[in-house]
Amino acid sequence: MESSSNLLDSEAGKRRLLSIEIPVIERYNEGRDPAYRIRLTRQGGGLLLRYALKPAHNRYDLETRLIASYPTVPPETRVLTPLRHCPHLLEGQTLCLWRQGSTRASSRWDPSRYTCVFAIQAAWRWLACYEIWHETGDWPLPEAK
Amino acid sequence: MDFRPLNDSERRQLLAALRGNVESDRVILMDRKDTSFVGTTDEVPDDEVISAIKSVPCHY
Repeated sequence: MESSSNLLDSEAGKRRLLSIEIPVIERYNEGRDPAYRIRLTRQGGGLLLRYALKPAHNRYDLETRLIASYPTVPPETRVLTPLRHCPHLLEGQTLCLWRQGSTRASSRWDPSRYTCVFAIQAAWRWLACYEIWHETGDWPLPEAK
Repeated sequence: MDFRPLNDSERRQLLAALRGNVESDRVILMDRKDTSFVGTTDEVPDDEVISAIKSVPCHY
């Protein structure tokens, strides 16, 4: 058993990146307009994904951070494009996706099933909710219990 | 940014897709090139899996 679970330095972390995360990012980028592809940079012991999403007419720039303890700790996604203050938006325009700060037992992030692209899809759905909230003032989906 | 809102028809379609995603596990499809909303489906072809948003167990 390895004592370190560092994403970039441990064998388990490297295996996760090479066998799961990098292939799924490559697949996500296939055939996609360059402006909407995931761009990957190293940040400390983790990785930073920069990309854009456009659920409707508006384009949003985002970044998703895979910290050193990813995938045990869920990815953190924030929107770089200025937003109006709305439900499910945390400090720094971080999206409330997995109930950050919760215990692993109550977190909706499951590292055995999800990848960084799943987090991007979750952000897309959040932005679609935002587009509707922007016009109606009502968040269209109920809060998960 | 200059926010361009959805028109009524677009908003109804997107709302129905989001609710179908949560309540009936219908998959939302995003455009392969620019990630814009395409529609919903029950069956996802293998080559579209990467652009298919399944019911997401998120907090919101």
